[in-house]
Amino acid sequence: MKRAILSCNGLDKPEGSVAREVAIRGAEATGAEIICPVLLNRAPARYRKALADSAVTVVDGCSTRCATRLASQLKANVERKVLVSDAVKGSGQALESTLALGPNGVALARRIVEELVRNLSAPAVAGEPAAEFETPVEYLAVTHDKFEFRIPVVDYLFNENDVWVRASDGVARVGISDYMQQKLTDVSYFDPPKVDSGVEQFGELGSLESAKAVFEIISPVGGNVTAVNRAAIDNPALVNEDPYGAGWLVEVKLTHWPEDQELLVDAAAYAGIVQRKAAEE
Amino acid sequence: MAETTFMGVPRDQIPWFPTIDYDKCTFCMECDTFCPHHVFERREGDRPLAIANPANCVVFCRACAKTCGPDALSFPGKPETIARIKQIREGASSK
Repeated sequence: MKRAILSCNGLDKPEGSVAREVAIRGAEATGAEIICPVLLNRAPARYRKALADSAVTVVDGCSTRCATRLASQLKANVERKVLVSDAVKGSGQALESTLALGPNGVALARRIVEELVRNLSAPAVAGEPAAEFETPVEYLAVTHDKFEFRIPVVDYLFNENDVWVRASDGVARVGISDYMQQKLTDVSYFDPPKVDSGVEQFGELGSLESAKAVFEIISPVGGNVTAVNRAAIDNPALVNEDPYGAGWLVEVKLTHWPEDQELLVDAAAYAGIVQRKAAEE
Repeated sequence: MAETTFMGVPRDQIPWFPTIDYDKCTFCMECDTFCPHHVFERREGDRPLAIANPANCVVFCRACAKTCGPDALSFPGKPETIARIKQIREGASSK
């Protein structure tokens, strides 16, 4: 598949200048086509084919994430994302305060591109998922207006942040509820946590994005991430199509399961929470 | 309307909501545009953005901070918040 880079143009912040440099160097290193956001805004037809045919790397300068929003609006097939402000924090070295790139900015752009090239040639480790989780068969249904929200009757527990967990033999599979996937509408991007990273209960397990919202996946359990759902990364629509089955997100090796359960609710209690949330919208 | 409880604890007893660093905030209003729970409010005057409905904030959600270019929004620590929730729950169950 062809590649394209949609980047922040960076004319008002040093991080933006780095984003622009990442786009230029990244295009040279990968053969990707650069999509200029300004021209895209003025003449969208110019990039219609590139967006339809390409896996897109999105480069944002700061957390305003203009490039990400553009990609969502255009339903781009996003392959990778880079957020320069996070890379600055991770590098431990401040950028020069000038808009013109200084040595630190150039060095950071070079490192980001090197990592990007590595990731594109060798996708991040997804881990080996446990095989023994089966799709639920019986659901509670919460209805509100024309909407129906399904909740599996057995085996699933929930936190009040609309994330489910299903545990078996010390490993838990995690995903979002039917209510939340409907609220998000079409999920366009799953940013997974790193395999082998640790997570506390109510810590973050990556995020989901739709044109409507960014949703932090609040972990219902504590432990170590053992696998992420490669199929959901490649095809985020699975989260909408089958949120309790094929659209699972992360597997976690449990470290505090007995205590974790004290702060989770079962299907009946979660149905009450969904009913209340739906009524309050 | 705000959620009245979270994990069985009255929502207004859980101190989870963003704090605005007015030295960093540029009043771009991205957070207010982003947040569907009306935690923020636009106002007249020198500080045209405020936290108007802290109890509307979804406990443990920090998504608005991720939309903030100048990094002007901060939240309490999750471990302290969880400890506080457990403490209130234990207090309620021992009554």
